[in-house]
Amino acid sequence: MHLERLDFRLQLRALIRKELQQILRDRQLIFLLFAMPILQLFIYGFALSPEVDRLRLGIVDHAGSSISRALAASLVVNGVFEVEESGGTEAQLARKVQDGQLDAGLIIPADLERRYRSGQKTRVQVLIDGVDANTAGIASGYVGQILAAFNRQLTTGTQLPGELVAPQITFAYNPGLISSWFFVPGVIALVLNLVSTLVSSAALVREKDSGTLEQLLMTPVSSLQILLAKIVPLSFLLMITVFVALMVAFLVFHVPFRGNLLLFLFVSFLAILVGISIGIALAAYSENQRQSLLTSFFVNLPVIQLSGAIAPLESMPEIFQWMSLLNPLRYYVSCVRAIILKGVGLEEIWPNVLALAAYALILLSLSSSRFRKQLK
Amino acid sequence: MRRVFSQVTKEIAQFRRDRLTLALAFFLPFVALLLYGYATRLESKNIPVAVKSYDTGTLSRAYIDTLFATNQLVPARFRGSDIMGPLDEGEAKAAIIIPAQFSREVAQGRVADIQVVIDASDVNNARVIKNCVIAAGNYFARSRDIARGRQLIVPQVRLWFNPGRDEALYVAPGAIAVILWIFPCLLAALAMSREKEQGTILQLYVSSITSFELVLGKALAYTLIALAQAVLLIAASMALFGLRLVGDPFMFVLSLVVFLASSVLFGTFAGTRASTQSAAVQLVATTGFTTALLLSGFLYPLRNITYPLSLISNILPARYFVEECRNAFVRGADFASQLYIPLALSSCALFLYLVTSNILRKMQLKG
Repeated sequence: MHLERLDFRLQLRALIRKELQQILRDRQLIFLLFAMPILQLFIYGFALSPEVDRLRLGIVDHAGSSISRALAASLVVNGVFEVEESGGTEAQLARKVQDGQLDAGLIIPADLERRYRSGQKTRVQVLIDGVDANTAGIASGYVGQILAAFNRQLTTGTQLPGELVAPQITFAYNPGLISSWFFVPGVIALVLNLVSTLVSSAALVREKDSGTLEQLLMTPVSSLQILLAKIVPLSFLLMITVFVALMVAFLVFHVPFRGNLLLFLFVSFLAILVGISIGIALAAYSENQRQSLLTSFFVNLPVIQLSGAIAPLESMPEIFQWMSLLNPLRYYVSCVRAIILKGVGLEEIWPNVLALAAYALILLSLSSSRFRKQLK
Repeated sequence: MRRVFSQVTKEIAQFRRDRLTLALAFFLPFVALLLYGYATRLESKNIPVAVKSYDTGTLSRAYIDTLFATNQLVPARFRGSDIMGPLDEGEAKAAIIIPAQFSREVAQGRVADIQVVIDASDVNNARVIKNCVIAAGNYFARSRDIARGRQLIVPQVRLWFNPGRDEALYVAPGAIAVILWIFPCLLAALAMSREKEQGTILQLYVSSITSFELVLGKALAYTLIALAQAVLLIAASMALFGLRLVGDPFMFVLSLVVFLASSVLFGTFAGTRASTQSAAVQLVATTGFTTALLLSGFLYPLRNITYPLSLISNILPARYFVEECRNAFVRGADFASQLYIPLALSSCALFLYLVTSNILRKMQLKG
């Protein structure tokens, strides 16, 4: 009995060593494990930014007075708008917006000065290209605020302070509104999911593909040992991937790490187990590497899209929010953001951790029993 | 030319035989359209906001009503002892504390401060919330105090092309472009690398077909398949998202064809560089997909991309076609102003065609 257990451990250790060597020899897997996360983090972090600034604004100023010039100046002062050639007439301005050469237009009527002197209300037309609904919404909010401030400036003669309610707004967790702080934690989760499924399915299906799996089965090792020998070194290497990603987040994007590192590593380990289980399942159902790789598209596309890593979950229609409850990556994404940015602990995020752990357990046992059944 | 056509028939016959690639060509793009089109929303509606009022007066209640009047913000329970409580719990995206003297201050015409903390981990919606809170404050001031709220210059903001700010009109045309980049190029890469992996390319090398004919044949076959994908996707997005072609139809079709050709040629190019099919898939996935998704202006405006990276977007076909799809389906832009789009796309396609054929020519045995 005692000897058998010793045998099991020795065999497992030998298998693990073989696995590690095989993975480290494979340039494609090394690229996936270490280069791809860095590449993805760079592109996502530097490319995605919901900033609303430098909108190209064309101005048709029929008034040509000092007030109209002051109004135009107030719109560009904080960098939301940049004045570009408008063409001089309303028709040309409209054409330019329609052709996508301008993002916004301002039309100031000729009687602005006269009406202002007589204390009458004047309407100025602001048109914004609404194709990008999100940017247009925020930009029109800015226009409202800028004009409210401009009016306050004009009417300071009344000696009243400009506003009645003064919201003292603070931005929590990300006071500088740096967009990479939002995307980078999401991308860590996304990349980890991608890498762990791809690498584990590749490592397993390759053995099937080349027929070495049968050779392994002829040896005294059990299918449990074969599977464990795949999972242990992969989880170890993927934990290094997590570290690499975290270093990029710190050194390149200066994302703060406010929470508990151990908790972060623990949930990352759970996420890795989920990814590996998906990879095992892909390998179990595929004949060769090509098939498992192509099938992974069918799994990873919805898993990533419904995880909240890029587009926030709260913005999705309700049915997709419900569907995302079935998605293990969703729990990891919200854990990562909560730990890194909010710095909250287990008492706030335990439901997410619990869900992730449950998924890891269920998926791992389902996929490994499926894989082992195939071996018999 | 006959050799090119027989190449085309052979490619299409091979393509139809494999069920997995068929699903990849026609089922997954449709799923992707659904996921991108319905589930990609940048701006949140119904954002939970927790308000705690220490003021018992009617004015604070009136203010809270204004805050939640637009449905963009919805009330959430105020949990925890301090203002960070609801945010840490993740129950609310913003917390507002109204001080005890609020009603008194407002009634006397003084400025009442309120404390607002916004969860800025989602940067975009943090701005949306900030705008909502400020707009609510301005509206409240105007409705309370005529003198103060008097605005001499009133902006009349009109949102063109999309007055209801329907995000589907932004996301769906972009998604069509991104999906029509990803899948045709993936299929073409698979086809090209399969020849290499299975060694059938050697037969082609020793046959009389030239590398220019070989690439042309493959590209034609897969562009035809891509056109079928495009018809399916566009029909689906017309039915699901109510898109209508409002731009110049000739311009759109022209851009579509050269765009699909450049996607297919990029895939063929990747296929000649990779030695196995899985390496080819990985190559297009890492170089093609991420750039098409992130550097094409699909999610956020192109001008927001950081400098050295923004240069790459200029050589991406997907960037031009995202623009063309928005012009064709939403803006209805003029023919002449859009000429640069098919021009850029066709020069890209031509470049890829020449490069790929040249690579293959070097591998080919001299006849």
